[in-house]
Amino acid sequence: MEILTWILGTLVRGLAFGTPLLWGSLGEIYAERAGVVNLGVEGMMILGAFSGFAVAQVTGNPVIGLLAAAVVGALAALLHALVSVTLRANQYVSGLALSMFGLGLSGLLGRRWEGIPLDHPLPEVTVLAPLGISLAVALWIVLYHTRWGIVLRTTGESPAAADAMGINVTLVRYLAVVFGGLLAGIAGGFLSVAYRPSWTEGMTAGIGWIVVALAIFAGWDPLKAIWTSLLFGVLFHLSFRLQTWIPPEPLQIMPFAFTIVVLTVGARRGGRVRQAAPEALGLPYVRGER
Amino acid sequence: MRWIKLFVIVTAMLLVATTGWAQQSKLKIGFIYVGPIGDFGWTNAHDVGRKQLEKAFPGQLETFYVESVPEGNVEPFIDKMVRGGAKVVFTTSFGFMDGTIAAAKRYPDVIFAHASGFKRASNSATYMADFYQIYYLNGLMAGALSKTNRIAYVGAFPIPEVKRHLDAFALGARAVNPKLTIHVRWLFSWFDPAKAKEATEALLAEGADTYAFTEDSPTVIQVAAKKNRLSFSHYSPMQRFAPKHVISGQLVHWERIYIDFVGKVLKGTYTTQNLQNVDYWWLLAEKAVELGGQPGQAINPLFTGRLKAAKVKTSEFGTISVYDLVNRRLAQMSKNPVAFDPFTGPIRDRKGVLRVPAGKTMTVQELTTMEWAAPGIVGQWPGEPK
Amino acid sequence: MRPFGLLRIERDPEQSWARTIFVSVLAITAAFLVAGVIFWGYGVSPLRAYRVIIQDTLGDPRAVPEILLPAMPLLLAGVGLVLAFRAQFYNIGAEGQLLAGTVAATWVALFTPTPGPLMLPVMFLTGFFAGALWGLLPSLLKLRLNVNEVITTLMMNYIALSLVSWLVTGPWKGPSVRGFAYTDTFPDPAWLPALAGTRVHWPTLLLGIVLAALAAFLLNRTRLGFEIRVQGQNPDAARYAGVNPLRTTLLVMLLSGGLAGLAGVGEVAGIHHKLLDPNQVSLGYGYVAIIVAWLARGNPLAVIVTATFFGLIYSSGDVMQVSLQMPFRVTDVFNGLILFFLIGSERLLQYRVRWVPWKS
Repeated sequence: MEILTWILGTLVRGLAFGTPLLWGSLGEIYAERAGVVNLGVEGMMILGAFSGFAVAQVTGNPVIGLLAAAVVGALAALLHALVSVTLRANQYVSGLALSMFGLGLSGLLGRRWEGIPLDHPLPEVTVLAPLGISLAVALWIVLYHTRWGIVLRTTGESPAAADAMGINVTLVRYLAVVFGGLLAGIAGGFLSVAYRPSWTEGMTAGIGWIVVALAIFAGWDPLKAIWTSLLFGVLFHLSFRLQTWIPPEPLQIMPFAFTIVVLTVGARRGGRVRQAAPEALGLPYVRGER
Repeated sequence: MRWIKLFVIVTAMLLVATTGWAQQSKLKIGFIYVGPIGDFGWTNAHDVGRKQLEKAFPGQLETFYVESVPEGNVEPFIDKMVRGGAKVVFTTSFGFMDGTIAAAKRYPDVIFAHASGFKRASNSATYMADFYQIYYLNGLMAGALSKTNRIAYVGAFPIPEVKRHLDAFALGARAVNPKLTIHVRWLFSWFDPAKAKEATEALLAEGADTYAFTEDSPTVIQVAAKKNRLSFSHYSPMQRFAPKHVISGQLVHWERIYIDFVGKVLKGTYTTQNLQNVDYWWLLAEKAVELGGQPGQAINPLFTGRLKAAKVKTSEFGTISVYDLVNRRLAQMSKNPVAFDPFTGPIRDRKGVLRVPAGKTMTVQELTTMEWAAPGIVGQWPGEPK
Repeated sequence: MRPFGLLRIERDPEQSWARTIFVSVLAITAAFLVAGVIFWGYGVSPLRAYRVIIQDTLGDPRAVPEILLPAMPLLLAGVGLVLAFRAQFYNIGAEGQLLAGTVAATWVALFTPTPGPLMLPVMFLTGFFAGALWGLLPSLLKLRLNVNEVITTLMMNYIALSLVSWLVTGPWKGPSVRGFAYTDTFPDPAWLPALAGTRVHWPTLLLGIVLAALAAFLLNRTRLGFEIRVQGQNPDAARYAGVNPLRTTLLVMLLSGGLAGLAGVGEVAGIHHKLLDPNQVSLGYGYVAIIVAWLARGNPLAVIVTATFFGLIYSSGDVMQVSLQMPFRVTDVFNGLILFFLIGSERLLQYRVRWVPWKS
């Protein structure tokens, strides 16, 4: 009985910390499925966290706050899309720039919002966690069982083929990146509106980078993102839960070591992970080249 | 010849100009912070102190600051401040120690003061406002209010400063309720709300019902309050984050030290020649620290009743209420010299080793290097002596 | 009558260095203009801000060495990354490899009986090997199993971070630091000499410049360099040309990791003189080096310029904080803007503006 409550409690905590990871990684999966890596998740999340908090506090409604976070996250992603899709700049560098810019801007604008507890926070596990899981299922169905999914995957696998099929590669990539930013914004908003709930600059503290890892760890599969986010959440919680018996460092590196191991094992077993990676990931598309 | 004449004239003008300015100019004071001033802890408190200092000497001085300075970068920032005219520089993190001493050597006509360190020079003093007495008082209250006999402490780093506070908290709690255990989690970070949250959740799952902590955000208070658990505010006034759950807390008044120090610099008492032995170790008696979750209120009135109802037997006062005990101890420690110190022997650590012999009180040197864990503490304790 | 001219923009496949520099300067100027809005919003006149920044960085001889402090690790790590990127190996793990170098150097300095005169060379050598070793696992995984190196190198960064954090709070915590999370200070022979009156540890700088030149030589004048370039441009053609991708990639990756390791040695032996919290050891140099390397556009010698440029940016950020009393996050906004404009202008490089004589 005690063991059961122990396991249940740990799972609930894993779900709570896993929620921003899930939302963020679902967005990143869609962007990468279209062939665009976005290393700016940290920046989009922190901008979402700030705007979500500010709007939730002013309106007194956390849901409006989350919507604002989504819009701001999407706008930030639009910047990345502009630079990396239209201007065809290096996606990795553009993402790094977005991370810096987001951390900086939210830190500057957020000055006078620091130190205020949110009056009407959102419940932690009952809203965004089940919503996120349903979203993951929906996104999986869209990805593998609809025409939109084929369009998205073709764009990421072979933009030239997509182009030949009459797909507007630029438009699809824009939509995917902006959708990714939308979800990253909500993930950030969750932190400041439900998980904490208050605003401090730099409060994402590296979660955005874990999200980038998760997208790959999940093999770019929305359904797998559910349990991988949960696993990362559980491991994070356990690094404190078990601290009395196990030093925290081994538990803290576990998510990262795990990712490497899973990628390796996946590659050994017939290269499923390798095959899952969109073929044109990270490459800008220029008609007539390749 | 013409060039030389010109050179002499320009130099003379420059000399006049600079000395003229120097006479008018105010004393420039630079502050170097380790974190962002928007945090809820250490750096914010120093910045509040800086503003109070400016108010205390209107028109006589000018302050400026840099925040979030990386430890290896303190020297370039000191260089910039001195170039900008700073005559006094406060460096406010242990990690700035070696850089401050090196800079003091390089700028013999600038006065330095370094918080929390132990190295000094003729133009570089040290200062610290410490909480251990207050944590002891918080511990007394936690001992009276805990129902599960389990209380908790979320610590930033396992360093002597935090260990000292934890031990004082544990000693206070066990003085009221010897059956209590104190459960510990380390964050290995001064500021990380996500870690603070999961650490608190882990402690909640272990059944702890009263929380103290060292982390620069009110996360622990918020998380505990959501599960209807009690807590103590840390460093800045955090009672407003959970007005019904914060019992008391620790508040700092760095301005007491800054005003005293700068006042003596202005008067000429402190010069670049005589700081070798200037070390502020300021506590309750100097009013550098204060008991409470918001200024002017030592104990949240919501808890007065329960604290008055809890009785405890002491050798010194007989059987009295915990409320009275807290106030008596507070009064004893607010005197100078103090009439009571939490670290007065005999004290054994949790392994049974005698750490403070009967009749002895720990010295400042011993306090700033202590590593042992007090009885009742449960959890990992990196660096625990054998 | 003199013929009038018209501007015509046309695509030009040839990229010239002159144009690259011209467009880059244009982009940076544009970024500064946009940043002016931020200064203005903060109540600082943009013109005054620019003046102060230039005055207190380039205009003050005492401030110039501070540009070199961040430039040194960026140079070393950046040269290594240029090599990796040329072979199409996306090493995002310079930060972790740098930290591995600091660990190795600390181990030599504090826990081995290395005699004094040999101390620094041995530190650099082991630092190089440690950095290379840290990059070895991702490269093996990439070569043997085709595991995405972006993610494995990124993961290795976090593992290195935890390793350093564990060492300084646990087994390597120094007895002389009163329980704080630092190792003891290095003995004197493990301190790099600095240029008089500054903290510029010149041996690291020298090493960086020499290695940049060597890397350029390797890339342009040797068989191995040819193989790296061919493999980066066209892996299929490389195979036909008899290039062993295993050997080239492995070598490039070892060099790349090793150079980042050297940067780490420079930081602990030249700046900190001890090992400390990983976030204090490196100020994100491993990540910024990616940008530095990318801006150098595959040319190791150009890294000298781009690393210095980023040294200047770091230094301007410091100035904005001290002289203009702006929050530290202003640096991030600034860096982000400059980057966006620089990479956004990338596409302009493919075009040239022609003065077309107007014939009537």
